[in-house]
Amino acid sequence: MVTKDTMSSLEVRNWLLDQPEGETLLRCYQCGRCTSACPVADIEPSFNPRLFLQKILLSDELIAEEQLVWNCLTCEQCEVRCPEHVKIPHILILAKVRGLMKGNVPAAALDRARNILSIGRSLEVSSPMLKTREKMGLPDLGTPPMDQIVAMLVDIGIVGKIEKAESIYGGTENE
Amino acid sequence: MSKARTYTYFPGCMIPYRLPHFELTMREVLKKLGVELETSPDHSCCPEPTTFTGVDFEAWVTIAARNVAVSESTGNDTVAMCSGCFHTLAVANHMVHEDQELRERINKRLKKSGLEVTGDHSVKNLLHVLHNDIGIEAIQKQVTNPLKQLKIAPHYGCHLVRPLEATNMDHAENPQWMDAIIRATGAEVAEFENKMACCGAPIMPADEQKSLTVTSKHLKHIKASGADAIVVLCPTCYTQMETQQGKVEAIAETEFNLPVLSLGELLALSMGLSEIVTENQRRYHRVKLTELLEKAGVGGA
Repeated sequence: MVTKDTMSSLEVRNWLLDQPEGETLLRCYQCGRCTSACPVADIEPSFNPRLFLQKILLSDELIAEEQLVWNCLTCEQCEVRCPEHVKIPHILILAKVRGLMKGNVPAAALDRARNILSIGRSLEVSSPMLKTREKMGLPDLGTPPMDQIVAMLVDIGIVGKIEKAESIYGGTENE
Repeated sequence: MSKARTYTYFPGCMIPYRLPHFELTMREVLKKLGVELETSPDHSCCPEPTTFTGVDFEAWVTIAARNVAVSESTGNDTVAMCSGCFHTLAVANHMVHEDQELRERINKRLKKSGLEVTGDHSVKNLLHVLHNDIGIEAIQKQVTNPLKQLKIAPHYGCHLVRPLEATNMDHAENPQWMDAIIRATGAEVAEFENKMACCGAPIMPADEQKSLTVTSKHLKHIKASGADAIVVLCPTCYTQMETQQGKVEAIAETEFNLPVLSLGELLALSMGLSEIVTENQRRYHRVKLTELLEKAGVGGA
């Protein structure tokens, strides 16, 4: 909610501006073309990309707990229309990342991440599906080398993080 | 046809293990067009770009760059059939190429497994391969059943096209390559409002109601164009607009009854490969294709 109290800390802002995509935020002059281009803002007035950018510019660290950032489609329509080519979807992604340990992550997103880090696929591969592929004459694709992948990610600490993370969202994925 | 072109096929998860008819039809079409696909068991989930990015971006770009490194080691250009996979690989490839600090950080992680990423690799989607590498003329030559009765709406989807600096596509708001391929099959291209509208799928995990509302607006625009079917490349767009169409109809309080085909299925219908489409239609299509197949002159429903 945009009416929440603000909690100012330069940490989130500095971390964001330190990255090449995040740095593009400094070009934002709050014209609002992003919001007028956004298909979610079109159906949900409280989803306002311009205000998200303003919050980050003003160092409001509550952005990380803002559940609405997960309503971003990552369609990049805002970036296409932005006169200053601010990497808006990327900046919202960075805001999402900051919210992980506070539980600001949909349950289905967490499930997918856990799958990816345990089996190397975003979904479980069932044996009937393997049989279907065989029947269709499609080749066996093997299994990803998970030991290698997990070892590579050690310095990021992602495996431990998503073990601990708990979604504050209800429900699970239903595809 | 000149000699066969070989690509490294990046399979991902959704197409091979949820919607294998996408892979089957496209493989057969590509075979006709003189394309060979090779796979590597070292590739993993891309990872998908709509939620994993927001869980841990650094892990996302590292796993993605590792997949690009595996591709680089094959010596062939890479083609991803899925738009999510394509987007992830293309963006990571571009980032690694442009950002030396990131490249060094990732290569340090890759070193343990003897891999290296440069970002010089060519990551392609099926439109690059079909439209640019094979060419419209060569496709036309294989069309034995021109789909003259059909009006087809091209749904490009966001992640196939944007951002241009990474995807190397033709236009961010009015792309043309899929239109040209549809015309090559003999079909008419449907013109509809907001061609690059998002399917709505990425926010299904966060808010199903809003997600389906975005979809319903898009399907209304396409329906109004008089299209017989939508053609997609992305399996996630397909799931949202086809598999979930019943739910979308409930929200929109209207019946769409809009069949969705993968581009491989459309091409197969035009190239005398209709059997692989009709054999799998009941299992993978919820919206009946009966009328569409009749119009396409293949029956078999």
